[in-house]
Amino acid sequence: MMRRPLRPLARILDARAKGENPDAIERENLKARHEQERDQLRAQAEGRLLVLAVFFLCGFAIIGLRMGHLAGSDPVEPRAATTTAKILAARADIVDRKGRILATNLTTHSLYAQPPQMIDKERAAAELARIFPDLDAEDLHKDFNGPRKFLWIKRRISPEQQQAVHDIGDPGLRFGPREMRLYPNGRLAAHVLGGAKFGREGVLSAEVVGRAGVEKAFDAELRDPGRAREPLRLTIDLTVQAAVERVLAGGMRLMNARAASAILMDAETGEVVSLVSLPDFDPNERPRGGPRDDRSPLFNHAVQGVYELGSTFKIFTAAQAIEDGLVSPQTVIDTKGPMTWGRHRIRDFRDYGPELTVEDVIVKSSNIGTARMALMIGGEGQQAFLRRLGFFETTALEMPEARVARPLIPKRWSDIVTMTASYGHGISASPMHLAAAYATVVNGGRKVEPTLVVREVHAPGERVISEETSAIIRGMMREAVVRGTASFGEVPGYAVGGKTGTADKPDPRGGYYEDKVIATFASIFPAHNPRYVLVVTLDEPEETSGEEPRRTAGWTAVPVAAEIIRRAAPLLGLAPEIEDGSAVGVTLAAN
Amino acid sequence: MSYLEHSVKRVPTGARKILYLNWPLILLIAAVASIGFLMLVSVAGGRVDRWAEPQMIRFVMGMVAMFIVAMVPIWFWRNMAGLAYLFSLALLVFVEFFGVTGMGAQRWIDLGFMRLQPSEVTKITLVMILAAYYDWLPLNKVSHPLWVLIPVAIILIPTALVLKQPDLGTAILLLAGGGIVMFLAGVSWWYFGAVAAAGVGLVSAVFASRGTDWQLIKDYQFRRIDTFLDPASDPLGAGYHITQSKIALGSGGWTGRGFMQGTQSRLNFLPEKHTDFIFTTLAEEFGFIGGISLLILYGLIILFCVVSAFGNRDRFGALLTLGIAAAFFLFFAVNMSMVMGLAPVVGVPLPLVSFGGSAMLVLLVAFGLVQSAHVHRPRGS
Repeated sequence: MMRRPLRPLARILDARAKGENPDAIERENLKARHEQERDQLRAQAEGRLLVLAVFFLCGFAIIGLRMGHLAGSDPVEPRAATTTAKILAARADIVDRKGRILATNLTTHSLYAQPPQMIDKERAAAELARIFPDLDAEDLHKDFNGPRKFLWIKRRISPEQQQAVHDIGDPGLRFGPREMRLYPNGRLAAHVLGGAKFGREGVLSAEVVGRAGVEKAFDAELRDPGRAREPLRLTIDLTVQAAVERVLAGGMRLMNARAASAILMDAETGEVVSLVSLPDFDPNERPRGGPRDDRSPLFNHAVQGVYELGSTFKIFTAAQAIEDGLVSPQTVIDTKGPMTWGRHRIRDFRDYGPELTVEDVIVKSSNIGTARMALMIGGEGQQAFLRRLGFFETTALEMPEARVARPLIPKRWSDIVTMTASYGHGISASPMHLAAAYATVVNGGRKVEPTLVVREVHAPGERVISEETSAIIRGMMREAVVRGTASFGEVPGYAVGGKTGTADKPDPRGGYYEDKVIATFASIFPAHNPRYVLVVTLDEPEETSGEEPRRTAGWTAVPVAAEIIRRAAPLLGLAPEIEDGSAVGVTLAAN
Repeated sequence: MSYLEHSVKRVPTGARKILYLNWPLILLIAAVASIGFLMLVSVAGGRVDRWAEPQMIRFVMGMVAMFIVAMVPIWFWRNMAGLAYLFSLALLVFVEFFGVTGMGAQRWIDLGFMRLQPSEVTKITLVMILAAYYDWLPLNKVSHPLWVLIPVAIILIPTALVLKQPDLGTAILLLAGGGIVMFLAGVSWWYFGAVAAAGVGLVSAVFASRGTDWQLIKDYQFRRIDTFLDPASDPLGAGYHITQSKIALGSGGWTGRGFMQGTQSRLNFLPEKHTDFIFTTLAEEFGFIGGISLLILYGLIILFCVVSAFGNRDRFGALLTLGIAAAFFLFFAVNMSMVMGLAPVVGVPLPLVSFGGSAMLVLLVAFGLVQSAHVHRPRGS
């Protein structure tokens, strides 16, 4: 900036020439400069002030307009439900194969207290103890006066209880929404479903996690919000399940059994249509703890329990011997008893004479005959065959209980093991193993993996035995019902076939009990073209209508299974078939 | 540059000063505070003793302090500015180590009869020292980079300390208030342009860093910004305040539901209903008319300050008055914007209305300074 000099030389000289004081010029100029600076400052300050004023005005205008906008708008309450519903309905439903609800969710509330906000702690404690008889007024009062600012009182309460608590009117007692797992059918299919419990818990919501059964096996899928609440569809048929459960419960009581199980499986696909284990429980009120032993109602006898399944295994020995071309159904086998092998003796339940055909070995259930066939096959071949049928692994069933049911296999496979395994002793497996293996053997020889989930397409399994062998085995099983050990299994019109098995229960102190057995009946129907496999086991049955208690499967498990088929087959859509002999009646009526 | 000393003789002296106070300003302040008392009675459900009474006592104490400060000549306060600033810095450091933790942040010093928030004190002492600095600085040096860096440092030191508490709201107010004083003092436009550009860059950097390992602000701060942008996304969580206060404002409508008839605020839907969110009670009970009336009162306070500063040829007095007016404007503008969902939720009280000791006392002392500048302004030519 060019500055005008305060003492311009020309004017000073001029002033001096005139005799004036040159300092006056300097003062004059200095004053002028000061005024100029002040004007500059003022102009600038005014400009800046104007900008600030505009800023203030804008602020006022925005706030005022916003205020008018809000005042003119209708107040919209946020609906608590819209946000909590997201949390509450997180777990998908479980339905049966026809879409009927097996497990769903119910909105309820939890009750908690915030003692600092409570008005009358004593009265609140007393009233709570009156509403919930299991609570103690003393304890509550102590808790309310303790240092805690928050405490749970009840995990879930009914609407009536909620209203009652609400009526206490204490602002320190509060409710949090809860999603509760509801099993509307109660005990039905309890072991399949398993049950659920609360996981991590907050005031506004709680996680529901599966504890057992498919609830646990499919926990991640059921909780996955990405599946958009698509229900999990099981292979279980609710009506069939109900019929099977009813009949089995009655049979268990009639046969004085300690426990019982039944598996009804599609012979082609391995889909489990019904799975029952008794005694059972209500998954809505699942007992605490886990199934520690087989006395707990939580124990799944059909899937979790591994038992020596007895003579039902003879079918596998016969199937392999025929498949390998070692015998035909009419081949005669030496059954002279008792058969000794080293220190061991093998007996039959009754003496069936010196020799039997292969078919009769199965029909009459001869241990000796089966053992001789097993010796023909040899230990290694037998092991390989049982392995292919799935007896060396856990089943593929989608239940956590199935994953722990590992079959008990002898470590060393000696000749005596080969012989006892051929009639189902010394080797233990679950009834689910047995059902899958029977399905494999009778459906034409293709491996079946048991499943609880409906699949769009069913890929046929690998071939284990030939169609021809499968047909022969089906015939033998039919004969066992028509004229053999399973004669109580006949259900007119449904051509039941099957094989019984009665195994002495192992005594934990060593050896076997004399009077405690596991009775098993593995059946198929209709035998000429099997659609379903039904495995019924009774734990320690005793049929007491005769002079002596009868425990064999033919007297216990078979009649129960027959009754199940009689009830369930129509529900499964199977029409009774008219057999050859009865056609006469039709002719007569026509005349 | 101040030539105040030259014209001191014409400034009123003794008890006559009282006549020369800016009385309209005092009346406006009292009116706003009275609205505050009314609201505090309302949110307490009609009880006077809960919040209104202590607030009144503090107001009276504050008014006494205001008169005392107003009687002291403004040049004394100018000379005290540096000391006051250093004192407030010392308080900020002190509170960092010995402060009382409240609401998760170290903010208070317990003085026994009241809780002092050093950050509140800083808001005023910062304006004071900046005004004194520019009063002292020759005009031709104002935009010189070196002489710009000094006030920037003066602003940033307390801002950093407050940010560490952490109190984002006060930090923003300190930055904005200091910036406004610098702007009014005549610092070149270029600096403000550069700062604005850097600010935009920083904001985009903050958002760009989200979710990465080196993210610049905390997750809860991001969530606050999210809920500010869309409060409906989480109406029961972080968006709760905003949603509820919007409901209160909406339910108040144009004329309001009537005194003590508000539901949203009185039925405990709103936390902080007697402090930061007290405006919702006013808006619900007296509607748009009540809200706009308060806004007009605030506007008049600002207007009287600006007029007083405009007629004040003392640079320190003018800058101080305008700086305090700007800080006051920022207080209520930020608070109202926050309540009405125009700004993210930062803890800034509604000046003179919200329940709270420090803010009330400090504001009244600040208006005492404004009065002192008004009374002792140079007169004549």
